[in-house]
Amino acid sequence: MSTHPAADCALLLRGLHEALEIPEARWDRVLRLARMTGLHGRLAAANADNPTVSERVRRHLLSATRMADFSARMLDAELRDVAPLCGGDFPVIALKGGAYALQALGFARGRFVSDIDLLVPARALRTMEARLHAAGWESAALDPYDERYYRDWSHETPPLRFPGHFLELDLHHAITPVTGRRHFDPAPLFDESLPIAGSRFRVLSARDQVLHACVHCFQDGDLALRVREIADIDGLLRSFAGTTGFWPGLVERANALGLGRPLWYGLHFARSWMQTPVPQEVLSALPGPAAVLRRPMEAYISLALLPPDPDRPPGLSVRFARRLALARYHLLRMPLHMLLPHLARKAWLRTRRRTPDGANENAGGGP
Amino acid sequence: MQRSIDLGAASVVVRSPLREFNAQLDLLYRDHSQAGDSGFADVRVALLPGPPWRVWGPQVRLWSEASCPFDPYPLDSALPLFEWGTNWLLAQRLNAHVLLHAGVVAREDRALILPAAPGSGKSTLTCALHLAGWRFLSDEFGVLDTESGLLHPLLKPAALKNRSIDIIGGQPGAVLGPVFAGTRKGDVAHFAPDRASVAARRRPVTPALVVFPRYREGAALRCEPVRRAEAAMRLGLNSFNYRKLGPVGFDAILRLARTAPAWEIEYGALADALPCIEQLFGKAS
Repeated sequence: MSTHPAADCALLLRGLHEALEIPEARWDRVLRLARMTGLHGRLAAANADNPTVSERVRRHLLSATRMADFSARMLDAELRDVAPLCGGDFPVIALKGGAYALQALGFARGRFVSDIDLLVPARALRTMEARLHAAGWESAALDPYDERYYRDWSHETPPLRFPGHFLELDLHHAITPVTGRRHFDPAPLFDESLPIAGSRFRVLSARDQVLHACVHCFQDGDLALRVREIADIDGLLRSFAGTTGFWPGLVERANALGLGRPLWYGLHFARSWMQTPVPQEVLSALPGPAAVLRRPMEAYISLALLPPDPDRPPGLSVRFARRLALARYHLLRMPLHMLLPHLARKAWLRTRRRTPDGANENAGGGP
Repeated sequence: MQRSIDLGAASVVVRSPLREFNAQLDLLYRDHSQAGDSGFADVRVALLPGPPWRVWGPQVRLWSEASCPFDPYPLDSALPLFEWGTNWLLAQRLNAHVLLHAGVVAREDRALILPAAPGSGKSTLTCALHLAGWRFLSDEFGVLDTESGLLHPLLKPAALKNRSIDIIGGQPGAVLGPVFAGTRKGDVAHFAPDRASVAARRRPVTPALVVFPRYREGAALRCEPVRRAEAAMRLGLNSFNYRKLGPVGFDAILRLARTAPAWEIEYGALADALPCIEQLFGKAS
């Protein structure tokens, strides 16, 4: 009965835009892949009124919708609580999920949010952090090494949380790690940022939002299961591409900020997996990988980003692709002379620390 | 081997090569499991032995959607891992309903809800009422339908702990799985609901009475009404997803508290508690 995961994944991605008419056993697979990739809320948003689904499938979609509603309420509440701390003396830019919700973009419906990302100028970072602390937000307790990792090598503060709140707050002063190869001065991002009517938060310009999503997808973390990020890129492009001059402006900006390569990847995979309307001349104008490398790259990225067969433990090829992705992630984050001692320290700590009881979710991209 | 288990409000497909574990499932799910795949399942898990080179202290892992969400258990404890793990997974996915943390039993499609914190004697009481002739709906999840206001059965075995194992296991007609000594929650054994309850697993029931039990060793029986507003608050607090459901959960809990009168009983012996509950149930109509 089992169908190929790639075919089911294609179905899932189609289901983010349109109501699916598929048999119940196929829904079983699509729902599982949706949960694995965190896309079940968006799948439910597009299929909420789908009259062809069975009662059991409807219940799963309803469950996802309710959890997404919860996530949206928590996001709303957190932004409302942080807003009074934005005094207007420096810009506070909401990134990613927060920004999509503030702009009421279509694809924000059903999109799960696990944290709030705010971008402030580097000079204002301490001020904003102090205001949050004074208002009751607490920084995760870190040892001096991890503290230094965040302060000196990363592009964000250690996560902040208000006791009892569901969402974490990450304060950024750049959108790329400061020690990384693709680091650039974020000043132009602030210059082009836009106000949101009736809110104290600003958002990145449309083209910068696309660039940030691409950077986040391909540069900023472990690649495993990041198909959700491609769905974001697709959502942003479908929301903004109608504006005149959008495409040339996007390419120009990517080249100016040195982000042509991640943009090429983002556009390529959005088009290839989600049929996002991306003009060919846009892709041709960007520095993509060499032609001979494209086929192996395509296979490797698909293995790392797309969900594997949910019915069995991930095979060797998937595990290898993920290991490779992790290695690449680390190399992009810091040069080898810093990376090797950092990883050695992590490995040494791992042998001493046993994971606590209970659910051990996959460790993310933290220190 | 692979089997499908129809729990009523949800279905589980489980696959495992472990012979002993399969024999335990045969016993505990004897009336509602069948070989093969039902085509659609709310939860799909595989319980697979850990890496073969781990000769000292072999382990079992629960696989769900190509990953292991929980730490491994000792190889002979596949059943507790399966029960605990599927409960956790069900709680993630059944948010179309309010999931009360409660035992539910019924007479003639009218439900008695026993919400309680762990250690209050909820499982023991649920099993004792079942052995006294009540229909078993669930021990862990009170599945409250937010649309109809009815309760759905979720026929998982009750997890009995420590002394309850002997108290319930010693009663005529009780079917228990093996005792797993020294788990995180102490000794655990699983109690299988009877065939009639399993056969009725698709028939929802109307909430009729809420009883907050509190077991205290040597306590004399005490039984007091709980005001509706307080009952609503306590039902909400004893739920897995009340907070996440927001207004939907609030409305469903209020509706429940308005329909079903609530009592609190403190007891030191089942022989005191059962007649008291029977009497309260008779009066609630």
